[in-house]
Amino acid sequence: MAKILEVKHLVTSFFTHLGEVQAVRDISFSLEKGDILGIVGESGSGKSVTSLSIIGLVDDPGEVVSGSVIFEGKELTKLSDRELNKYRGNDISMIFQDPMTSINPVYTVGNQIIEVIRAHSDMNHAEAKARALELLDLVGIPEPLTRIKSFPHEFSGGMRQRVLIAMALSNNPKLLIADEPTTALDVTIQAQILDLMRNLQAKMGASIIFITHDLGVIAEICNKVIVMYGGKIMEKADIMSLYEKPQHPYTIGLMQSVPKPETGQKKRLVPIKGSPPDLLKPPTGCPFSPRCEHAMEVCLKEAAPLYKISKTQFASCWLHDKDAPVVKGFVKCESVPDEETEVLL
Amino acid sequence: MKNYYVRRILSAILTLFIIATMTFFMMKLMPGGPFARERPIPPEILALIEEKYNLNDPIFVQYYKYMAGVVQLDFGNSYTDVGVDVTEQILLKFPISMRLGLYATILVVIIGIPLGIVSALKQSTWVDHAAMLVATIGVTIPSFVVAVVYISLVAGTLGWVDAFGLDKWTSYIGPVLALGAYSLSFVSRLTRSSMLEVLRQDYMRTARANGLSKFKVLYKHALKNALIPVVTYLGPMFAAIITGSFVVEQVFAIGGIGRYYVISVAARDYTMIMGITMFYAAIYIGMVLLVDMTYSWIDPRIRLGKSSGE
Amino acid sequence: MVNKMRDFKFIDSSKKMDKEQIRESLTYWKDVWRRLKKNTIAVIGLIGVIIVILFGVVGPMFSPYYFSDQITDFSYLTPSLDVFQITDTEDGDLENYFVHLNNDYRLFLISEDGHIIERLTRTRVDRSIWTYYYDYEGEEIAVDYSRRVGDEYTGDIDYTVTYEGVETLYPTKTVWNKTYLLGSDHLGRDILCRLMYGARISLTVAFVAAIVNLIIGVTYGSISGFKGGATDNLMMRIVDIINSIPLVIYVILLMVLLNKSNMWTIILALGTVYWVGMARLVRGQILSLKDLEFVLAARTLGVSQGRIISRHLIPNAIGPILVSLTMMIPTAIFTEAFLSFIGIGMSAPAASWGTMANEAISLLEKYPYQLLLPSLAIGITVLSFNFLGDGLRSALDPRLRKG
Repeated sequence: MAKILEVKHLVTSFFTHLGEVQAVRDISFSLEKGDILGIVGESGSGKSVTSLSIIGLVDDPGEVVSGSVIFEGKELTKLSDRELNKYRGNDISMIFQDPMTSINPVYTVGNQIIEVIRAHSDMNHAEAKARALELLDLVGIPEPLTRIKSFPHEFSGGMRQRVLIAMALSNNPKLLIADEPTTALDVTIQAQILDLMRNLQAKMGASIIFITHDLGVIAEICNKVIVMYGGKIMEKADIMSLYEKPQHPYTIGLMQSVPKPETGQKKRLVPIKGSPPDLLKPPTGCPFSPRCEHAMEVCLKEAAPLYKISKTQFASCWLHDKDAPVVKGFVKCESVPDEETEVLL
Repeated sequence: MKNYYVRRILSAILTLFIIATMTFFMMKLMPGGPFARERPIPPEILALIEEKYNLNDPIFVQYYKYMAGVVQLDFGNSYTDVGVDVTEQILLKFPISMRLGLYATILVVIIGIPLGIVSALKQSTWVDHAAMLVATIGVTIPSFVVAVVYISLVAGTLGWVDAFGLDKWTSYIGPVLALGAYSLSFVSRLTRSSMLEVLRQDYMRTARANGLSKFKVLYKHALKNALIPVVTYLGPMFAAIITGSFVVEQVFAIGGIGRYYVISVAARDYTMIMGITMFYAAIYIGMVLLVDMTYSWIDPRIRLGKSSGE
Repeated sequence: MVNKMRDFKFIDSSKKMDKEQIRESLTYWKDVWRRLKKNTIAVIGLIGVIIVILFGVVGPMFSPYYFSDQITDFSYLTPSLDVFQITDTEDGDLENYFVHLNNDYRLFLISEDGHIIERLTRTRVDRSIWTYYYDYEGEEIAVDYSRRVGDEYTGDIDYTVTYEGVETLYPTKTVWNKTYLLGSDHLGRDILCRLMYGARISLTVAFVAAIVNLIIGVTYGSISGFKGGATDNLMMRIVDIINSIPLVIYVILLMVLLNKSNMWTIILALGTVYWVGMARLVRGQILSLKDLEFVLAARTLGVSQGRIISRHLIPNAIGPILVSLTMMIPTAIFTEAFLSFIGIGMSAPAASWGTMANEAISLLEKYPYQLLLPSLAIGITVLSFNFLGDGLRSALDPRLRKG
């Protein structure tokens, strides 16, 4: 299957008056058509900045320092803001975390949806309005005819998120980036939104990048996962491999710190001790090493390369090196050489 | 919605009523008696005057007669300038002040708002710093200082314009500037901070993520939201211009109602003071009412009014 | 594969702790002070405020004058004096004296360094040759202003001074008025001294009025906010009604009512009216704080309402209260100056900046310095307090941080 998106060695930093904060420190991944990729990580891991970097919405004082983002063969990092606008809301759409504040309160919902439609097509007002009504129906807003004239504050949080999804889907995007779309919502609403996204993806054949810190959500809808920490990718894998045999201490730690009602046993939650690194003075070596129970001397000094666990699983951890001591659960394998240009997962 | 409008109007009328009452009783409390002058007035004339001004009637009758007059917009005659009708004087002198006030308002809107917007867009550049420094100074320097400095500099030393009166069109520059300087600075700072606040909002990010042009994003999405607090300021701005007029008209020797008010106060012309006070109160309350009613139209979140801000 | 010698030894936890990065913590007030210090404008304001306070409090002690001391002979003298040298050759020793002519054609004898010695009497006038004559130690000094009168007045020579036959066309030099450092007013009072006393008045009125407003406003606002419900509604209605006309008008009316114009009536008038802003602010703060959990906790512990307000709620609202207080001061200063300026504030011979401006306004054309100086005093003081208040507001509100 063709690769719809390729991110290669992306580096994004914020140049503040305190210094350079390296939010994204050399990450690479790819997406094939129809993938639902989950990016999971704590606050500060760089996941949101990654998504913003893809569509060029990283604001001052931040900028994409190096690397490339190739969408359907086109290099996005070289495009001007105006050229990127043709993609945004059109082929690549994005929805954000807080629906309560993400819609302009002084214009009607219809006005705003129609605006997005007409920005990327030749439809006149009537046609755009018809499409807008279609979309509202599609995302499950009851009584679209009256609601299209309503203002955002007349909708609940879940409804607003649906409106935002309608906006994002209005021009049939090929790639939808969802940055924690359900974090600000109730669990029951969350389930509805996830259902909606799953259906839409099946119907429209879009690819999705789903950013979250919630492993449960990942398990629900993603087929591939990237685990980020400290601006770097710790592990990337297909969903089954990640959950059955995680190959990075951080991933394992994440799994252990989440309560699992299914097991039925009384087990203690094991939090990961310590706190995320300060990206103003980024640590040399593996960013997770201060908190890792298997840390070795080399981990503090050098960041590990990606080790190929399988065709669909890669982990950035020295424990996979043949020269490293054997630790239960971590397989030994070859690392991906630095010169490798093709992104394998 | 209509309910809200009706309530506001009734509330305004009630307020005016209360203020008229307050003013009346305040004036009655004036020490020294109404006609204590340097030269004692012969008793017969005093009696006549008391008759004319109803001073012999019990207080409630006086009050009733006064309020009846107010409703008919009759504020009686001047205390000190006998025979001069208060309402007439007000109507005579008011237009001059109103014109000045209008020009000042135009100045504020045409320069203040764009200045604030530009400063916000170019935040932290020299444009921003320079504009805001000027604005901060403008907000802190009292209007008569501006007036005085203007006169001594532009009219005095440089001699470009006439200092006093309103004969030539150039004479308007000084008073309008002095009247508007404070509000202009305030509005530009307000617009700037409001704009900055709006630019940070999540919905701005949404608009950009949806690929809307920069122009649209700014002028459609940002501006309307940013101007909401500015509209709210229009009421207080009006008050600032009114109080500013007291001083500016004095310094520039302009025969408007502001100056007349000050003269009446200094002369203890009670009826005139009462009349002009009521006049100001009515205009101000009317203005605030107008702003309030349009405000709920501008910001759809504020449909049903809130009684007393947060 | 490049064979780097990598060390695959496990490390113990102590080494890992070093790698943990902890940013140093700041207490709230330390942070506020830090931000305030960085704000140049606020620092300028702070310095300005300190200077004004020193000016008013300590200044008068250094002045040889009292604010009402007047020497009418020495009125209308500017801070900088153009002087003409007159040389007394009779006694043999070349003592240099200087004379200065003010805008009303009064001639003064000035010492070399600028002290005013005496005013010289005008003996006669000869209008045919546009000359005034003054007596100096028996001799005549002639001041010829004919060039000023004609159509060919170029502004070059205003007048000439002739003594003992020597005519001086241009002022010899310009000296600073050492007797009256900022000049003298229309009654011969030292302006600098009066400015200092004016500072005292402005600052006293401002601080006392601000404190009064603070007390009334905070009490009113916290009761209203805390009680809520009907009480709150009523109390805020009253505030709304008071606020429905510009507050200055009340002050004006009150001053007319009180009929006595001194510092205390002004403070009273200000205190009666300006608390409404503070009340509303405090009420708002209390409203947003009173539903927080620590209040609930205090209530459950049986803490009395008064205590809850004074020890829990108000300290948490202190930020905006402080800013509001700081901004009340320039408002009070300005209002007092404004009242005095329009004639219902302090009355003569009190040295309020407003009264000084009021007395000087008719002299604007001839002696602009008399109006300019008190106006600048007002402007600079108000400016400083506003800068400081602005800076405080930014420092106390973390959201407004730039970059």
